[in-house]
Amino acid sequence: MDQIETFYDVMRRQGITRRSFMKYCSLTAAALGLGPSFVPKIAHAMETKPRTPVIWVHGLECTCCSESFIRSAHPLAKDVVLSMISLDYDDTLMAAAGHAAEAAMADTIERYKGEYILAVEGNPPLAEDGMFCITGGKPFVEKLRYAAKDAKAIISWGACASYGCVQAAKPNPTQATPVHKVITDKPIIKVPGCPPIAEVMTGVITYMLTFDRMPELDRQGRPKMFYSQRIHDKCYRRPHFDAGQFVESWDDDNARKGYCLYKMGCKGPTTYNACSTVRWNEGVSFPIQSGHGCIGCSEDGFWDHGSFYDRVTDLTQFGVEANADKVGFAAAGVVGGGIALHAAVSALKSAQVKSQSKPTVQNEEA
Amino acid sequence: MPRLVVGPFNRVEGDLEVTLDVEEGRVARARVNSPLFRGFEIMLLGKDPRDALTLTPRICGICSISQSAAAARALADAQGLTPAPEGERVAQLIHGIENVCDHLTHFYLFFMADFARPAYVGRTWHAAVEDRFLATQGSGARAAVAARAQLMHILGLLAGKWPHTLALQPGGVTRAPGPRDKVRIALTLRQFRGFLERELFGAPLESFAELTDPAALMAWETGDAGLFLHAAADLDLDAVGRGPGRYLSYGAYPQAGGPAFAAGLWAEGRRGALDLSEVVEHTAHSWMQGGPRHPADGLTEPDEDMAAPGYSWCKAPRMAGQVVETGAFARQVVDGHPLAVALARAGGGVTSRVAGRLIEIARTQVLLETWCAGIDPDAPFMARGMMPSDGEGVGLVEAARGALGHWLRIEGGRIAGYQIVAPTTWNFSPRDGDGVPGALEAALEGAPVGADEDTPLSVQHIVRSFDPCMVCTVH
Repeated sequence: MDQIETFYDVMRRQGITRRSFMKYCSLTAAALGLGPSFVPKIAHAMETKPRTPVIWVHGLECTCCSESFIRSAHPLAKDVVLSMISLDYDDTLMAAAGHAAEAAMADTIERYKGEYILAVEGNPPLAEDGMFCITGGKPFVEKLRYAAKDAKAIISWGACASYGCVQAAKPNPTQATPVHKVITDKPIIKVPGCPPIAEVMTGVITYMLTFDRMPELDRQGRPKMFYSQRIHDKCYRRPHFDAGQFVESWDDDNARKGYCLYKMGCKGPTTYNACSTVRWNEGVSFPIQSGHGCIGCSEDGFWDHGSFYDRVTDLTQFGVEANADKVGFAAAGVVGGGIALHAAVSALKSAQVKSQSKPTVQNEEA
Repeated sequence: MPRLVVGPFNRVEGDLEVTLDVEEGRVARARVNSPLFRGFEIMLLGKDPRDALTLTPRICGICSISQSAAAARALADAQGLTPAPEGERVAQLIHGIENVCDHLTHFYLFFMADFARPAYVGRTWHAAVEDRFLATQGSGARAAVAARAQLMHILGLLAGKWPHTLALQPGGVTRAPGPRDKVRIALTLRQFRGFLERELFGAPLESFAELTDPAALMAWETGDAGLFLHAAADLDLDAVGRGPGRYLSYGAYPQAGGPAFAAGLWAEGRRGALDLSEVVEHTAHSWMQGGPRHPADGLTEPDEDMAAPGYSWCKAPRMAGQVVETGAFARQVVDGHPLAVALARAGGGVTSRVAGRLIEIARTQVLLETWCAGIDPDAPFMARGMMPSDGEGVGLVEAARGALGHWLRIEGGRIAGYQIVAPTTWNFSPRDGDGVPGALEAALEGAPVGADEDTPLSVQHIVRSFDPCMVCTVH
């Protein structure tokens, strides 16, 4: 295989200064929940390791994942990551067009066989032999299989690739199917959410590019560092839930006081994501902060669980000043046994422990 | 007769393929295919009407607020509800920011990158364009991405998250901004104005918005706008990609006293009234069944055999039996902006469409500043209504790319019909029942094709001048 340049070479070539590079390393460490002592380690890895090639493909989707990523992410982090991945193949952002672009993908696969990461946005529709999503004259499912065959690992961006998302809503007219049901022989990291938070996307991809391994995953295949905490448990409106203070209708007095949105159908109690901590649009806000309940877009099947404005009905017993743990425990039980386990473990800590115990770069998932 | 298949197009939201018949170095016939179908209109059936607020934005990750706004209006219409004026103002602010961001994205990331291609090496402007617009690397493109992310802080603040915002409701918005938020929004808008005047226009934006004649436009020299106009003049881009000459706008940003940009249908040199009962969607050349129908009783039945003469998942909407063009340029023409009208009278090609967007960026920035200054934090931001168990509603908005309509029917408290006609459905429609080509198909006819070009540059410019959003086209 050709000698591949290091991340640092790539960044320098893109005109990124040493100072910006170091800033990027410390941002990365912070985003991953690692301490300042990891900054030189990240820098060292990026200076000495050949960069990991990335191929980014789009299936049945709305491109909101890319949009979230390029519009909202911290400009520096996004810049650096984009400069790394856009060298290879991304059909929404790249410069080449038409069949030249398709050729670029074939070339990347050939050159970096078994070395590249395949990032999938959207999913393949399987009905009618895949005819509902045709790119370059072929069904997307074929392109996906082709690109996945020689990939080291796959990232399923967003609810579409991870679970199917709204296009899989009943009656799922195109038989939209999540990636892991089509590709069964590769490690897959699910980064759900509609779209996922930009910082979560950069965090996951940077972790993989920097440490050359998959982040620790939960039972559903989501990176624990971002998906181990319930929105409800970290919600700034949680005290009002515990005190039984609720918004009863839009823009009422209680809404202006910032009371809990549970009665307005908030799915925070059954949703695992980093919205209430990382927040959106560079940490400005998140849906609950804008006065609307969470719709649980990072959970499997969120589009078919009754109306988005129905209350979470399986969270029945609570009252004024009810014990938060009791309520939380009941909700966790609904979602699944595995979650109660990992909810107890701090995401940050587990990422740290894992990194410390494996200081050298390994290819165990390859 | 050589036939070229151009596509898949990159730097386009969604998938697109164009088939060209070439005769004597020019495009003789074009067929536009939207090869991606998801079936939103089918999924919405049987759902709680309010769920349209969550489902329809997910049609598109780039103009999701437009979908959200159209759904909110359709639901308000079904309830006979007038939104709270302050809520409407904030909803407009949210929507306007998304539209400006889309125009910026189109100019800096999607459209201008084509002028940095090697085929143009040697042109006087090529080096400057390459420096500013080379895909993912140009200094202008990078500055625009940073400015856009910053502007979107307002969406974070008012709407919780972008894309797929939840804050827009039939009665207004869920978030009541306080006095502190107002200051923060004003500051962010101020910074964005700085970007526009420094980088895009190289002059006070009012002076661009006040241009009245095409000669003055082509003489504009400063900023990235000047760079584009220089290249456009050199390549005579307004002579290619001319549309049907009929422009549709539903009217953007409705407010007390009428929309900020007027509604209407501009044809043969003047603006006429809009008659929505004249909208018909044909399916003769689509892989769809059941046409022609008005969207209020429209059907979405994909033809799984994909039988000829169908060649696209897109239906073919027509206004009073005729092809119309929609988008920022159409909006400015219908609104009577003197420069836009003069450009439309001269034929309205590629340059006009891009100029229409630039005019609109400048004018919308001024509107955003006015709306922000007018926010009254003490007023109600949401009016309450009751969802009827049976009823109908229409939601019309102007998305960045043009006229977007949602037609909703509720029976027994559930959605019984939901039809969406998106801007790119109008612009990129296939042939209708009479075999008349859609707006882009017609605009491509006559485009020059070099002997050794397999992805003709003129075709790239024409297609992108419409700023296609293919995921909205077929949903």
